[in-house]
Amino acid sequence: MAEARVLVLDANDVRAQNLRGLLQFIDYAPVVHESCATVMSSGAKPADWVAIVIGEVLDTPRLEQFVSWLSKAHERPVLLLLPEQIEAASQFEALGASCRLLELPLKYMQLNDLLKFAGLQRMQNDAMATVNALGPTGNSSAVRRVRRMIEQVAGFDTTVFITGESGTGKEVIARAIHAQSHRADKPFVAVHCGAIPAELIECELFGQEAAANAVGNEARPGRFDQAEGGTLFLDEVGDMSLPMQVKLLRVLQEHSYERIGGTRSQHCDVRIIAATHGDMEAAIAKGRFREDLYYRLNVFPIEAPPMRERLDDLPMLVADLIARLEQSGHGSVQLDAEALNVLRSYAWPGNVRELANLVERLAVLHPGECVRPGDLPRRFRPHDKAAQAVAAHAAASSPVHLRPRGDCVLPEVGVDLKDHIEQIELSLIRQALVQSGGVVAHTARLLNTRRTTLVEKLRKYGLQREDVEADIAGEG
Amino acid sequence: MDAAHCGVGSLPRGQFRTLLVDDNEAFLTLAGHLLEDNPRLKLIGCGFSGYDAMRLSESLKPDLILMDISMPGMDGLQATRLIKAQDSPPIILIASHYNDAEHREHSARAGADGFLAKRDFDIAINSVLDALTTEQLHG
Repeated sequence: MAEARVLVLDANDVRAQNLRGLLQFIDYAPVVHESCATVMSSGAKPADWVAIVIGEVLDTPRLEQFVSWLSKAHERPVLLLLPEQIEAASQFEALGASCRLLELPLKYMQLNDLLKFAGLQRMQNDAMATVNALGPTGNSSAVRRVRRMIEQVAGFDTTVFITGESGTGKEVIARAIHAQSHRADKPFVAVHCGAIPAELIECELFGQEAAANAVGNEARPGRFDQAEGGTLFLDEVGDMSLPMQVKLLRVLQEHSYERIGGTRSQHCDVRIIAATHGDMEAAIAKGRFREDLYYRLNVFPIEAPPMRERLDDLPMLVADLIARLEQSGHGSVQLDAEALNVLRSYAWPGNVRELANLVERLAVLHPGECVRPGDLPRRFRPHDKAAQAVAAHAAASSPVHLRPRGDCVLPEVGVDLKDHIEQIELSLIRQALVQSGGVVAHTARLLNTRRTTLVEKLRKYGLQREDVEADIAGEG
Repeated sequence: MDAAHCGVGSLPRGQFRTLLVDDNEAFLTLAGHLLEDNPRLKLIGCGFSGYDAMRLSESLKPDLILMDISMPGMDGLQATRLIKAQDSPPIILIASHYNDAEHREHSARAGADGFLAKRDFDIAINSVLDALTTEQLHG
């Protein structure tokens, strides 16, 4: 079953057993060893552990060699040092290890927080494995245009607003602006506003004063604190609640904010870069986004181009993604020229993120191999008969199986093409909704479209749940 | 609940054929019990790692995967990224021991459709499914 996630290296048996119990309680699988030698001969790899607790070690002279072995790995566990190893911390850090002190007596909260930190650090390293901090990769005219805009705006503290479909690499653009700015040696802090519930986001952005903190006695810094002197990237800012929009507007106007539970205003020196994949003008019209905040954010707009407008970049992007996987120890893969050609004729609704996920998947499924068109998922091969035979078989149980119709006859008087296409689209969406019982996710799958795209279309056509329920009842 | 013994027949409209993935067997057993009476879900299999998630997602074609983050070998976030690269990927909800903003952000960046704290996931899953399904029609 579970492999080790936390290694306890401690010859103090009573303490080691206490640690084992605590770790199991907080959902980690601990493994206890008394010496470095037994760990290194066990066949384990540094990446097997998210953290290593180091206390009393039977073979202390080998500890330096052990930490050095850990530090050479791509995925390094965080070292949690018990009191007898505190003096060795600087030595371990010099070897490249990330160290934290684990105080005695052992406390659930402390251990929990340290392991949370260790897990987040690994997630951050993984997430950055395929991100190009230097800017968008490629040489297409769309990317050259974006690169020029980054150069134009980077040197000033101007607020930048990045728009573009999901997966177009808006954070890459934001990081490039930061890296080329005078703030480059200060932090770049990203916040995914859409992922954080409304009740948490204020504390997350502005922090909390010690007195109001119900959990502990320490003040909790917010992302504005963390980004001080640097850049704060507010991704999916369109998802922010209206009360938070008011507070953000104040920061942009006055460069100050108040922590939760605080009475004093905090001054801040932070450059804001915001991004959204949504239609902000529609959000303003519906009263979901403040117009005054929009104009404060939209000082220098940059549009991240969709993948379909930069297909010339595909070979460079694939090469760059593979190089990053290799550098971060996430494996390797090659694509032959024909496979690259097949990818060029795909529509890329998920943009660069979809490509990054595909390359990472291919590196796992075909490690070190040269991928051919037949190895690609079948959505990339619409003209591959064998692949479509499999697709047709899979779809055979569907009550509605539509083929693209190429036999429409143009009336003599002509048609309003846009209106005609919309009518076809609306009809298919209605049928798919009925077939899937009104479940949007299933409907999206039937239409081979992304859920978010479908939701936008439902809004566009004003389809409400009652309409669908009426259709379903009518069908039944 | 072993994948090999799960039938994949036709199901009532709107029911999610669900795969559970967690390296903690006790959690899988508990989750199986807590979710078996949920009329919106049909449990079709379980896996113990990100690799299991990938393999079972291809073979069982679930509508929904409830996925742990911290797992040996391949973690739940990498598995999410790789499963989202398959044809017609399922909905993926991350279930985590931690319930803070950063875990939620990492889940969203990996392409997960939702996030649940393990301590009350059996209740919270209904509101997350609401948000993902018909509730969205009200925009």
